[in-house]
Amino acid sequence: MSLKKESNNYYFEIKPKLAFSLNLKELIEYKELFYFFTWRDVKVKYKQTALGFLWAILQPLVMMAIFTFFIGKSLKVPSDTIEYPIFAFSGLILWTVFSSGITNAGNSMVSNAQIIKKIYFPRLVIPISSILVSVFDFLIAFFVFIVLLIFYQQPVDVLSAFMFWPTSLIVAVIATFGPGCLLAALNVKYRDFRYVIPFLVQALLFLTPVIYPISIVSNSWLKYLLAVNPMYAAITIFRLPMMNSSPDTTLLWISLLSGVLLFFIGLTYFRKTEMYFADLA
Amino acid sequence: MKPILEIQSVSKKFNIHHEGGSYLSLRDRLTELAKFKSSKKSDEDFWALKDVSFDVMPGESIGIIGKNGAGKSTLLKILSKITPPTHGKIICRGRIASLLEVGTGFHPELTGRENVYLNGSILGMKKKEIDARFDEIVDFAGTERFLDTPLKHYSSGMQLRLAFAVAAFLEPEILVIDEVLAVGDAEFQKKCLGKMEDVSKSGRTILFVSHNMAAVESLCKKTLLLENGKPRLFGLSS
Repeated sequence: MSLKKESNNYYFEIKPKLAFSLNLKELIEYKELFYFFTWRDVKVKYKQTALGFLWAILQPLVMMAIFTFFIGKSLKVPSDTIEYPIFAFSGLILWTVFSSGITNAGNSMVSNAQIIKKIYFPRLVIPISSILVSVFDFLIAFFVFIVLLIFYQQPVDVLSAFMFWPTSLIVAVIATFGPGCLLAALNVKYRDFRYVIPFLVQALLFLTPVIYPISIVSNSWLKYLLAVNPMYAAITIFRLPMMNSSPDTTLLWISLLSGVLLFFIGLTYFRKTEMYFADLA
Repeated sequence: MKPILEIQSVSKKFNIHHEGGSYLSLRDRLTELAKFKSSKKSDEDFWALKDVSFDVMPGESIGIIGKNGAGKSTLLKILSKITPPTHGKIICRGRIASLLEVGTGFHPELTGRENVYLNGSILGMKKKEIDARFDEIVDFAGTERFLDTPLKHYSSGMQLRLAFAVAAFLEPEILVIDEVLAVGDAEFQKKCLGKMEDVSKSGRTILFVSHNMAAVESLCKKTLLLENGKPRLFGLSS
């Protein structure tokens, strides 16, 4: 569809093939829809629950407690000079952005199938909104994180915190966006992916340095492999203000590049196939 | 004056996939598998629309009628950019708003008020526009008393009235409506038709699909008759 302004009049063409473009202009035009879909999902998630938003913090807290007890204390896994509960919690809340992000995004197109079949709006709004819901949950859990920092008297370099914490969130969102969009598009045609997603997320939790530091991996070849995981960069950057040592920059670059690559692959595949979603859903 | 819509040789093909083929016994199925027979034979091409062309001038109301399965809804879906045409092209010189189903995006857990905003936004209204016309919308629907209760507690009639009320205050240049009046009582249908007449009188273009011949005749000057995806007649409604 080409959009031209013809002497102050609106003009566009509906044609069989969509010329590939990111069409940011259209996304900005529909920006309010992001807000409404995210708002709707958040509201519905916590409606009629007594605890409401508290659920967003209960899960990482409980996981942290379990991991602290079994892995931190009993197995005595080291944690890069950070207190283990902080180490685990920081990893878990960012990890949840990714895990719930790709789960929600992956299922988002199929669960919104009815709307897609009846009205037009840029389809990207749907997976993006579902990822924004995970970001919202992260922000709530982040407050608890600050409380934990105080409680465990974890020393934090404040300047780098202001730099790295927002950056790590952005990296996490990019890391989630790529696979999220890819899965969203694939799931429409091949419903298998609905079953693949939980299994994938489960496996990846152990392939990301969430509950263990990458420093315990001695084989450098294995380290490089683990660094291909785009969430490695997000979690490592998030922990930087609390660590004394400097991170392995090679590994960080591998992870960042991997995230950006997946971002473009996911986005491209989604845009290429979105015209036919209404026919397939 | 240039036509606000130029539909040029639009065709739409669907792939009908026959699952399992015709009725077979288990033994036949197993032998079929053993011989590695491909199931590609059971895909069929179905042309929902074939070579539809017509022009719409600004301010006209066009009715689209035909038997069930003639391709009316498919044509509207293509106009609404929900699905692309297989061949052909449509030139649009105005913004199109579609009402293919009332209550698109309505969520039963949210209240009436919240759903008005959600639905309005999905249909393309900005939040400011919804704020401005909120009272009129609720007034048209007649559901003020239940505005802050979750939609799941509404009767189906109330939901329909609320949904149509939101859509009634859309202000696009081209409005596309698909058989939404099939449900609803006589009083409501009259209200809706009245509103559509107002929209038409204010110079907007309407494309209206319906089985209700009386409604089509009163509202639309010209009508397109579709039969098995092909246009049969295009002319004055009477």
